[in-house]
Amino acid sequence: MKFIMNTGRTVRQGKHIESKLGKAYGDETGTCYMHPMDMLALGVEANEKVKAFTEVGEVVLMAATDEGLPEGMIFIPYGRHCNAILSPTTHSTGMPDYKDTVVEIVPTDERRKSAAELMEEMGGVPYAEN
Amino acid sequence: MQKIEDMVCTFCGCLCDDVTLTVENNMIIAADNCCTVGNAKFMGKNRLKTPIRKKDGAWEKVSYEEAIDYTVETLLNADRPLMFGWSGTHGEAQCIGIHMNELIGGVIDSTTSVCHGPSILAIQEVGHPGCTLGQVKNRADLIIYWGSNPVEGHPRHMSRYTVYADGYFLENAFKERKVIVVDVRETESAKIADEFVRVKPGGDYAVLSALRAIVRGKGDVVPESVAGVSREQLFRVADLCTSCKFGALFFGLGLTMVKGKYKNVSNAIELVDELNRHTKFTLTPMRGHWNVYGSNEVFTWMTGYPYAVDFCRGVAFYNPGETSAIDILARKECDACLVVASDPGAHFPRACVEHLKDIPTIVIDPFQSLTTPVADLQIPVGVTGIDAEGAAYRMDGIPLKVNKVLHSDYPGDAEILSRIYERMMEVKGQ
Repeated sequence: MKFIMNTGRTVRQGKHIESKLGKAYGDETGTCYMHPMDMLALGVEANEKVKAFTEVGEVVLMAATDEGLPEGMIFIPYGRHCNAILSPTTHSTGMPDYKDTVVEIVPTDERRKSAAELMEEMGGVPYAEN
Repeated sequence: MQKIEDMVCTFCGCLCDDVTLTVENNMIIAADNCCTVGNAKFMGKNRLKTPIRKKDGAWEKVSYEEAIDYTVETLLNADRPLMFGWSGTHGEAQCIGIHMNELIGGVIDSTTSVCHGPSILAIQEVGHPGCTLGQVKNRADLIIYWGSNPVEGHPRHMSRYTVYADGYFLENAFKERKVIVVDVRETESAKIADEFVRVKPGGDYAVLSALRAIVRGKGDVVPESVAGVSREQLFRVADLCTSCKFGALFFGLGLTMVKGKYKNVSNAIELVDELNRHTKFTLTPMRGHWNVYGSNEVFTWMTGYPYAVDFCRGVAFYNPGETSAIDILARKECDACLVVASDPGAHFPRACVEHLKDIPTIVIDPFQSLTTPVADLQIPVGVTGIDAEGAAYRMDGIPLKVNKVLHSDYPGDAEILSRIYERMMEVKGQ
């Protein structure tokens, strides 16, 4: 199913902003909030995994319910997970479509990666002592 | 144990300046009056202890002197250096950054380009009918949050300045004030509004235009529904706006990060302009990083432009979309990057971060961030408001002095940047 990806700040994301390689931050930024009717249509329940695709990449996320969202829109807290599938196109404004990107969502059994693992996937090397 | 009052929280653009810190043995053991996020910032642990440099795919500790030498050599050898960040540091450090960028003929950009950059483009197009948050607190009887969710993004904004704040010129502020939230989703902020206006995604520009038409007396052109908002609700909102004594519109990234970008903000400003023919009305962007507004002030004093400033011609040049960080990285144009007090590794699209990994990237930040794994060098510094101090600008343009409470051996951002800049001058024989 196709959705509009909306990304934004949450208190939980902000609380862990200085320990982004930690589990709590990755758990929050790796969450895909969806309307319950969309989850029903997709056949996923809260705490089950979904995979999001765009033309630039794919990422596995944990589904969560948010009745405040309109049907057809997902919300992902700011962080590495949503940016893994975001195009850098800015339409000559300097600003990518952080709140207006079309994504394809399917249920999956694949493992959700942590923020650190997503960095390693790109060739990054986390510093082990912190 | 010592209690220190009126400290400034350096997390979001609210710059709450009523924080009480309890300090014992040169450690903060409690932070009062903060929101959850501010509290986490003051109580933060796991700072990087020394500069670290990546060699042959593994990190090793280096001295500050070695780190400075590597930074100077990397930036001076680059043909197209990018210096990004600046919103999470004090004004004095931003000043040095501008001088350094001029010396090396690079591009300097702040996180503005990925938050309210489009708002600045709109302000440059149609102006800014703004005011201080003190005016809003004491006078506003109508508050609008448009594309903004302060409960999550600016947790004390409502209690300090709007919904729950006392107002000097309002008898019973909490009862007298009306609150309108306009958003595509029903956020926690929307749940406490008197009027929640749910707009279909991408419909903000149309709804703003409809409200402008109604306020202008041309409501007969408005159809039964505009971007999912009924004609009846649009008239009700327009009536609330024209009948208030003092209205304040706060807008967030819900206007700047969707299609239309700066044109959405231009339309919001034009609505506020229209409303000022009926009553007093102001508009304020909900700035995110604690000193992102300061970066725009400092950049503008020193270069004439607020962000995305390119010195490759020897004089300042500004063209967001071309000279902004995302575009430069996506085009793989820069060949070295200095990241100061921000985290593009977390917040930039994948293609941009992959280019950061492919070029020499140097990070100046107290904590390991998601930029660290793709960087080649990180230099830890003090945290402004804890063990470093300097000037910052609140989201409404009010400058505040941010003091420190702890003593540490970490250099502040301004100190480390000064040392890098002085060394560059020596090498260049200036």
